[in-house]
Amino acid sequence: MTAAAPPQSSPSWRKGIIAYLMVAPPLLLMILLIFIPALQSTARTLTIDVNGEPGFSISRYTAFFQDPISVSNLFFTFQVTLITLAAIFILCFPLAIYLRFATGKLAGAVQVLALFPLFVPGIILAYALIRFLGTRGTLDNVLSIVGFTGYRTPYLKPDAIIFGLVWESIPFTVLVLTAGLRQISDSLIESARDVGANSWQIFWRIILPQIARPVLIVFSLNFLGIFGSYTIPYLLGPAAPQMMGVFMQQTFGQYRRPDDAETQAVITFIICAFIGFLYVRTVATQRKREESE
Amino acid sequence: MAILDLVRLDKHFGSVAAVSDVAFTVSDGEFMCILGPSGCGKSTLLRMIAGFETPTGGDIRIDGDSIVALGANRRPTAMVFQKYTLWPHMKVFDNIGFGLQLRRLPRAEIKRKVEESLALVSLSGYEERYPAQLSGGQQQRVALARALVLEPKILLLDEPFSSLDAILRVRLREELHRIQRRLNITAIFVTHDQEEALTLADRIAVMNSGRIEQIAAPADIYANPASLFVADFIGAMNLLEGEASGRQVRLGAVALPTPDGIAARQVTVAIRPEDLVVLDGPHPEAWSCAVEQISDLGHYRRAVLEVPQLPPMKIYLPKSLSVQERAALHVYPRRYLIYENGGAPREVSRPLPAAAAALLG
Repeated sequence: MTAAAPPQSSPSWRKGIIAYLMVAPPLLLMILLIFIPALQSTARTLTIDVNGEPGFSISRYTAFFQDPISVSNLFFTFQVTLITLAAIFILCFPLAIYLRFATGKLAGAVQVLALFPLFVPGIILAYALIRFLGTRGTLDNVLSIVGFTGYRTPYLKPDAIIFGLVWESIPFTVLVLTAGLRQISDSLIESARDVGANSWQIFWRIILPQIARPVLIVFSLNFLGIFGSYTIPYLLGPAAPQMMGVFMQQTFGQYRRPDDAETQAVITFIICAFIGFLYVRTVATQRKREESE
Repeated sequence: MAILDLVRLDKHFGSVAAVSDVAFTVSDGEFMCILGPSGCGKSTLLRMIAGFETPTGGDIRIDGDSIVALGANRRPTAMVFQKYTLWPHMKVFDNIGFGLQLRRLPRAEIKRKVEESLALVSLSGYEERYPAQLSGGQQQRVALARALVLEPKILLLDEPFSSLDAILRVRLREELHRIQRRLNITAIFVTHDQEEALTLADRIAVMNSGRIEQIAAPADIYANPASLFVADFIGAMNLLEGEASGRQVRLGAVALPTPDGIAARQVTVAIRPEDLVVLDGPHPEAWSCAVEQISDLGHYRRAVLEVPQLPPMKIYLPKSLSVQERAALHVYPRRYLIYENGGAPREVSRPLPAAAAALLG
């Protein structure tokens, strides 16, 4: 009898193995292609050659932060990212609230329009914006037809980057915010109106606290996408200052200074990892809360 | 002190009339129930009073002043919703105090009022809980406290207990009744549950397809339903279709007398189960029938009778009457209502026949 006992436990044991086998390929890929190279790069940036022997040094980082161009590029990247994020929220909140509460054909059309950029590759968007915003572009022509001749294109200026990045981020932001807003039932909003809240008070006191998590998710994922963006800043932005993505590529490809490019990459990576950590924590606490409810 | 006047109120959604020509007055301190099947327009009517729907026509007045132009947030009404009523991110204290904060009351006064209203709904000491930590019944009591703390002129309740289980529903109903009497607040309660309406209301407005069928006190509605719809909707009722000729209505083997000549040929006779009396022997105005099914309901029994040429009839049997299923009975209607062409009914109420004695009932 005792000899027959072990097979009973084998199904769960086998299930465990299968589960690990299923996670293994993506996990291995992440370790081999992301974690190990990232660690190697980080280690290399902290190493210098001392008489043929490797030694620890932060000289590459001090060099980065003493170089005015590098610092101004990092600062510029932050600036563009934060302004873009602010613009995204200012544009997408009203849009998401409209889509949550409106019904009818117009709301359907607005939804399609809001999601449309999702299906347009960044490079096509960049050229479309050049045609639209550039000197003698669509906007310039339309303005001159109505008699406005002082148009100055934002093309090759920071504004064009922000314009492109905002356009690119709208669909994802609206999707997540609308989904968050749909979790709030009508009666919660009506009961707030019933006790005397106006629309602004309902937004601040009832809606916003309840979609804090979707807002954090939108903030962190957009931050990551914008901070590390390349195509749009490269095609639409100025030659200087540059966003980190463009800066890295130029340091690596044009100036042929892979060591410096690596340092720039590690700095960018650390900033993004911090925001990524915020995102993971938000998602994890949300799951924990859902399980406890 | 508040009187609510509804003046020829209409609400259309596109071509659909949700509420048509509703007019009634709720007097100060009165508890009015709006009762009707789902989709009859009762919630739309309440939502118009609260300000969540704009009437297509007519007027709503509180103490003589029209409130139609006011937004929901500026009306002197407070509403208790069916479910998902508390803001999940706020503690009980803030849920109740939110409206007072918006009115910029001093902190100490908010605290005092919140505590008072929590005591009113027997939830003192629950200030620091989150809604998710409360049971369904406690949540609805907090919702009631939140509405009452604003001292509204009119309290509106939209099926507030319908998502609770039966025992809790009865308990909260009694508690609401007690609170409403104590505060003497004018209240409008929407429900599809006739028992709820009959026990709570000073007056009931029965609604059907957007219109008011009858407004009366519960006992009156029960005894004299003004239309066939009300007769069918409120309480148990036997509805029998018969042919009238002269001063008689033929229902199966029995011809029942009518108070005067009836013009229509087709009429409906409504008999409450408790108005059917079991006789000890056959009688020309009693149906001879068989007991099809008996359900024991504690202090009495309900039986379904199989009557030749007629649909099954419901009757209540006292426990003392030892009748089994399949037994033969003779039942005599001592009170019935005759409905013709949708108009007001004619009532027939008469003593038991002299020749036969009632077995009981």
